Amino acid sequence: MQLFVQQVVLGLLIGGVYVAVAIGFSLVWGILNIVNLAHGALVIVGAYLTWLLFARARIDPFAALPIVAVALFAFGYALQRALINRVIRAPLFFTLLLTFGVNLVIVNALLVIFKSDFRSVTPSYSGSGFGVAGVQVPYIRLGALGVAVAVAAGVGGLLNRTRTGAAIQAVGADREAARLVGIDLRHVYALTFAVAAACAGVAGGLISTIQAITPTAGEPYTLQAFVVVVLGGLGRVGATVVGGLVFGLVETLGQTMVPGLGAGWANAIAFAILVLVLIVRPQGLMGRVA
Amino acid sequence: MMGGTTRFTGVVSLAAVLVLACGGAAGGGTAATTTGEDLVIGAPMSLTGSQSKEGALARQGYDMWLQWINQQGGINVKGVKHKVQLKYEDDTSKADISAQLAQKLITEEKAQFLLGPYGSATTASDAVVAEKNSIPMVEGNGAAQAIFNQGYKYVFGVLSPANVYLSGVLDMAATLRPKPATVAMLAADDNFSQEVAKAVVDYAPSKGFQVVYSDKYPNGSTNLSGLVANAKARNPDIVLNSGHLQEAIAIHKAAKDLKLDAKLSAYSVGPSTPDFIVALGKDANYVFDGSQWTPQVKSTASFYLSSQDYVAAYKKQFNTQDDPDYHVAESTAACLALQKAIENSGSLKPDKVRDALAALNVSTFFGQIRFDSRGINTFKPMVVEQIQDGKHHTVWPANVADATPQYPTPSWSGR
Amino acid sequence: MSAAMPPPSSETILVERPRLLDRRRLRRLLVLLLVLGAVLVLLAPLTATDQADSLGAPQLVDRSQIRILTTVAMFVVMASAWNLVGGLTGYSSFGNVAFFGLGAYTCAVAVDAHRLHLPMAAAIALAPLVPAAFAALVGLPLLRLRGHYFAIATLGTAVAVGEVVKNVDYLGGATGLFPPILHRADLLFLYLMVGAALLAVLVSRLILRSRFGYGLIAIRENEEAAGVIGVNTTMYKVGAFAVAAALTGLAGGLFALWNSFINQELGFSLDFNIQMILMAVLGGAGTLFGPVLGAIVLELLIQNLAGRSDVAVYAQIGLGLLLAVTVIFVPRGIVAFFGGGSRLSVAHLRRSLRETGV
Repeated sequence: MQLFVQQVVLGLLIGGVYVAVAIGFSLVWGILNIVNLAHGALVIVGAYLTWLLFARARIDPFAALPIVAVALFAFGYALQRALINRVIRAPLFFTLLLTFGVNLVIVNALLVIFKSDFRSVTPSYSGSGFGVAGVQVPYIRLGALGVAVAVAAGVGGLLNRTRTGAAIQAVGADREAARLVGIDLRHVYALTFAVAAACAGVAGGLISTIQAITPTAGEPYTLQAFVVVVLGGLGRVGATVVGGLVFGLVETLGQTMVPGLGAGWANAIAFAILVLVLIVRPQGLMGRVA
Repeated sequence: MMGGTTRFTGVVSLAAVLVLACGGAAGGGTAATTTGEDLVIGAPMSLTGSQSKEGALARQGYDMWLQWINQQGGINVKGVKHKVQLKYEDDTSKADISAQLAQKLITEEKAQFLLGPYGSATTASDAVVAEKNSIPMVEGNGAAQAIFNQGYKYVFGVLSPANVYLSGVLDMAATLRPKPATVAMLAADDNFSQEVAKAVVDYAPSKGFQVVYSDKYPNGSTNLSGLVANAKARNPDIVLNSGHLQEAIAIHKAAKDLKLDAKLSAYSVGPSTPDFIVALGKDANYVFDGSQWTPQVKSTASFYLSSQDYVAAYKKQFNTQDDPDYHVAESTAACLALQKAIENSGSLKPDKVRDALAALNVSTFFGQIRFDSRGINTFKPMVVEQIQDGKHHTVWPANVADATPQYPTPSWSGR
Repeated sequence: MSAAMPPPSSETILVERPRLLDRRRLRRLLVLLLVLGAVLVLLAPLTATDQADSLGAPQLVDRSQIRILTTVAMFVVMASAWNLVGGLTGYSSFGNVAFFGLGAYTCAVAVDAHRLHLPMAAAIALAPLVPAAFAALVGLPLLRLRGHYFAIATLGTAVAVGEVVKNVDYLGGATGLFPPILHRADLLFLYLMVGAALLAVLVSRLILRSRFGYGLIAIRENEEAAGVIGVNTTMYKVGAFAVAAALTGLAGGLFALWNSFINQELGFSLDFNIQMILMAVLGGAGTLFGPVLGAIVLELLIQNLAGRSDVAVYAQIGLGLLLAVTVIFVPRGIVAFFGGGSRLSVAHLRRSLRETGV
């Protein structure tokens, strides 16, 4: 029982990271109708920035998150205006081609700049935590979950309580109508992508504290973001939060708690569940029926 | 086309320079040797992609030997010295690309011999190409025995096979007091790691250990906390991992997060690289690993450098303070095996060199290099190293050790 | 949100369709294929096979190039097959590599001495069947999904199948399988793969001309309407999915025998998965020769940019930039770009820039 509780805790904690990774991905997909294959690369850019600030300027990784967010916001805005905006109305696979290309460029640029060495952000409190009845809760992972929830709340607030957010949502709901009421589509597109990139950067900052990073470390996170968004349902921040936490739980419990099957089956189980959810409930666990 | 032309011109002018340079050297030195045509050796390598870190290390190992052999004037084939051109192709860490590049090296770059790529899957793919073309390939970075169980005749591995990676750790553990009793084994699900794990599970009982937990996880996982929690619930004395650097770091971080206090932790791949210590800082202390080679290995080198000189030459050539890790050394060793086989056969014919490789038995800084009938080096023992105060020390076997094992590992709360 | 795909690409294809049916074009195609086949046969002695080596014959194509050509042909099969589902029917499958992997493992298990131990011809015959049966099975529920959901469900299926394969020891598990090496078979595999490519083009051609093909296009344009006018949409969709699976599986099976090594990473390679889609889109999704052209162009690029050890990283960056530029300047694929003579002009570039919102 204690072990089970421990696994649930671990699953929820890692789920927080998945939430942070997936929020930006979901936003771009939902509003811009673009599946961004370079999302994981943006996450790792954030991770490297956090590492630079930590290693060179001794800035605490959690304190560095706002700086990273601002930097990625600017980068995301520029990237969208310069490249991605040009295929915004093209069919699905053109955006895939483009973002696949962008991913290649970013990953290999990171390889040029940082080489392939494993980098790690290890603040003094790394590895410490508290225990309740034998169940361990590491501070860093708890902090990561907290930040993820804060980011989700922030993005949710932005979307639902500000004029900008209203404009973003209007564009997501109906581009033509949004244009007719005078919304500057290009600016809103770029803004949406910039917010998503900022979220990815924060996620990267969190990831840099819990694993070693390399230029290629982002690719699995693109796949995970896919799964989380589908599990939760597209388009709403709350759904992404649920999707991320559920995926963290499914992965951890699938790895460790399924009798008779080893952890090697975890991916098979996770993706089988994904497909089943899609077939049975395509709008996602939390999505509204379209 | 353009690239081909310029490269061709480059080769011609390079050859001209070499001929001039060697002419001068031959005149002043040993009169018996003459200079022959350059020998071309090809190596597909992970220069970009997911294994670019390990690929870079392997390349360093090849480059170490390349510089040295050309300083010697080249490989001596019956009194004729052939300078070596080593041609790399970036396989982007993909097995299908690697095979294509191996073929390209053989047919278009006219490589007479191959050195292996990094990794077991790429090595398996390239082995097929070497075999189809009857070109010997000597490799130092693919330890999965499956490659050597196919009856291939042209593929040779200088490194100890996967199944002995962690057996040295168990041998050592059996001598420690208080004697550890239980083992937890976490392994990645790639071919190499699974062979390591299977060997541990089979071997541990014979040394009096009980395997209380054994599981595999998807290759490349970074979320391994759940497995570590499972292991902790079994309260093992020894925690073993066969996987890769990223996973070793993840497991060690999770062990600290969850306060898994094992008396002994050993990882097959990872702790030997400087990155492991940089990533984990003081937490890296007390960690053991099974290593193909350490700078402390004292074997009498019949040619090339001694271990000590090798380390010094490495630091000089790459302008670093770090010791070369075993990926570097095993790659250099692959070059040495090829060189010696060419010299022994007195020929550059692939079949002759292949036979000389099969019959090879030399002692190098890396240890004995000799291949069993399958083509893998089962004659060199693995060593065990431990990170003590941020430095690598060899702790097993006793005759090469430069330090005694620090055991048992203090609990996380106690350090 | 899940708004229908913007129409420009489909308009293009609708305009081009009558031309595909042109009899003259068909005759030209057949002549081209026959010439190509004849050239291949005639060139055989001039290639660097062991026989030719020993004869000292002049060489036009060396083994490395044979290998590249074989790979190109393999991707022609996969891109053309993907096109049947993704381009023609409008169901953007993201999991066709599952069929490649299933075909590869079918062949590898079939010829393995410790497993089925069948002759090679039987193995190749089985290679399309297993993936096709699998496609028919999973196609029924999967093809009820649309748009992104279908894309991800197919991706999830491919990953899940690959993971299962990796965990089953009979299928080689983590180690993979090693089909026996066939010596002096470089040319054989080139011809088999080119044969598979011709088959894929031929099948695509037949489908495009048939009632079946019209039905698929009708589904892409408006599935409900297609149902109303009497197209059995489920049967059509599953049929297209199974045909694509059979072709892709054949390519996979040949790959396994040719490469003599297959593991989960190779058989269910996410790179192959993306590449076949990129090729079809790059060449022109929904057209007959688009995927062929895309496969040739992109695979030759990938093959030539790999290697190059001194500039490896920059080559990868270049490939990425090239993809981005291509998408922006050639948004409807190579076939459409070169399709009308007047399109290849500054005016076209300017228009495409304007359309894409500079």
